[in-house]
Amino acid sequence: MNTNFSRLIGVLALAALVQSARAELKWEQTSVDLRPAFNDKQAVAHFKYENVGNTPVHFKSVHASCGCTTAQTQNEQVAPGQKGEITATFNIGGRTGTQVKTVTVQTDDPERSSIVLTLKAVITPLLEFQPTLVYWQNGEEPKPKIITAKANKDAAIKKLDVSSSTPDFTAKVDPGSAPNEFRISVQPRDTTKAVYATLTIKPDSPANTGDMFSAAARVMPSAPASKSTLSTIRHDLATPAATAASPSQ
Amino acid sequence: MDLSSRNILWRIVALIVGGIFIYAGVIKAMDPVAFANDIDNYKILPWPLAVRLAFYLPWLEMLCGLALLLRSFYRGGLFILTGLVSIFIIASVVARARGLDITCGCFGHASKNWNFSGHLALDLAIFAALIALWISSPRQQQEL
Amino acid sequence: MKASAVRQALLLIALAFVPAIGEAIYFRDKVSWQSPIPASELVTIDQARSWGDNVIWVDARADNEFERDHIPGAILLNEDRWNELLPHFLGQWSPERKIIVYCSAQSCNASREVAKRLRDEAQLKNVFVLDGGWEEWLKDKR
Repeated sequence: MNTNFSRLIGVLALAALVQSARAELKWEQTSVDLRPAFNDKQAVAHFKYENVGNTPVHFKSVHASCGCTTAQTQNEQVAPGQKGEITATFNIGGRTGTQVKTVTVQTDDPERSSIVLTLKAVITPLLEFQPTLVYWQNGEEPKPKIITAKANKDAAIKKLDVSSSTPDFTAKVDPGSAPNEFRISVQPRDTTKAVYATLTIKPDSPANTGDMFSAAARVMPSAPASKSTLSTIRHDLATPAATAASPSQ
Repeated sequence: MDLSSRNILWRIVALIVGGIFIYAGVIKAMDPVAFANDIDNYKILPWPLAVRLAFYLPWLEMLCGLALLLRSFYRGGLFILTGLVSIFIIASVVARARGLDITCGCFGHASKNWNFSGHLALDLAIFAALIALWISSPRQQQEL
Repeated sequence: MKASAVRQALLLIALAFVPAIGEAIYFRDKVSWQSPIPASELVTIDQARSWGDNVIWVDARADNEFERDHIPGAILLNEDRWNELLPHFLGQWSPERKIIVYCSAQSCNASREVAKRLRDEAQLKNVFVLDGGWEEWLKDKR
């Protein structure tokens, strides 16, 4: 499992830390695995440290790898024997899947002036769509296309409500082939003119955070002029009139 | 009687394992580009090699699976499949240790959502079955 | 016994080449044989320029960075507000245009992530990542 491997790596990292015993700042963990719930907006990791040396350690900087993560240290200066923690707060936003964010800590410890703390979060969103865009070419047969919605099983979603921003598309929801799966069937009224609609999807989960879920449906504009001229020429050459005229060589 | 019922047991195991490899081979042969990408994800082989392997391996798997089913080239097939599964298990563990997020690719994108330990368990089971078939085969060896 | 297993194995290995080569010939034009069709394909600023108007620029950086300055005509699409911003981008997209995602050298995983999500979730083709990011554009600005 995910956790076992990272625990193994964590233990090895800790062992490595113990070997180089001259380091003064000892970290309980330099890598933390988190599994935020689907309705969590943030994932918070606590990196605990202790000054096991006999001189104070000063944090010169604490810097996260991306703007989505903020990191703060309890104390700028850690006296010998003092404990504390660096708290890394990862703002999940619209991210999904395994996210790895790091916090680089600079200290005045000459042995280990730079430490990288790793926050790994496995995010399972409330709903996932595949694909998030369905489209039809101009003139394509207006058959329905399917968006498969997978719901987080912890959310116990029974029903999805789908509405289109314009009446040019209709959407209906059926249960999918697996539990917690839904089939959203989208159909355009016609495909003769370019249209764009946002499909708003609302789950009925009691824990619904009010998050907006959307997919898009489009009828593309007709092909650019140059392309249709070429196809017209090809069509003309293929007509019986042209073939009847050419054999007389 | 004991011998023939054991024979039947091994036959069934061979059928199942052979079937698994034929299935896996067919799925990969249907989308060689996807399989090439999956091999590439392990970051062990250079791309040109990975893509050529992606075209070749599925057919080898299918042939060896067939060898198990038809009991023709039986031990040769077992030999190759055992080798393939071992290499694959090692590569998976190495990739995992390197922190790579791998989609197995062994059962095509059908297995995209399985987790690592599930895959590993299945592969070890297949490996064990192959070894068992190998050990049990001399008693039933039909020269071909 | 062992020898015959090896001989059988070699024969199987040789036999497998036949359908494999057949399939390779069939797929000959559909595969990139020399370099990977990368999960996030890099393009240089010069290549991007050569595509001219056919490009949709996607800015994968945070809101405030986009507001401060961005490639003219670029559409903001970051992971912080993915669900909100995605439909707006999809309304602008069309299959003939090439999408180039960029971010700043600091947060540069963002452009790869956004490109990957556009390919996987929206199933779009022709999604690229700008080599060198925003900084490269600034250097090259005319």
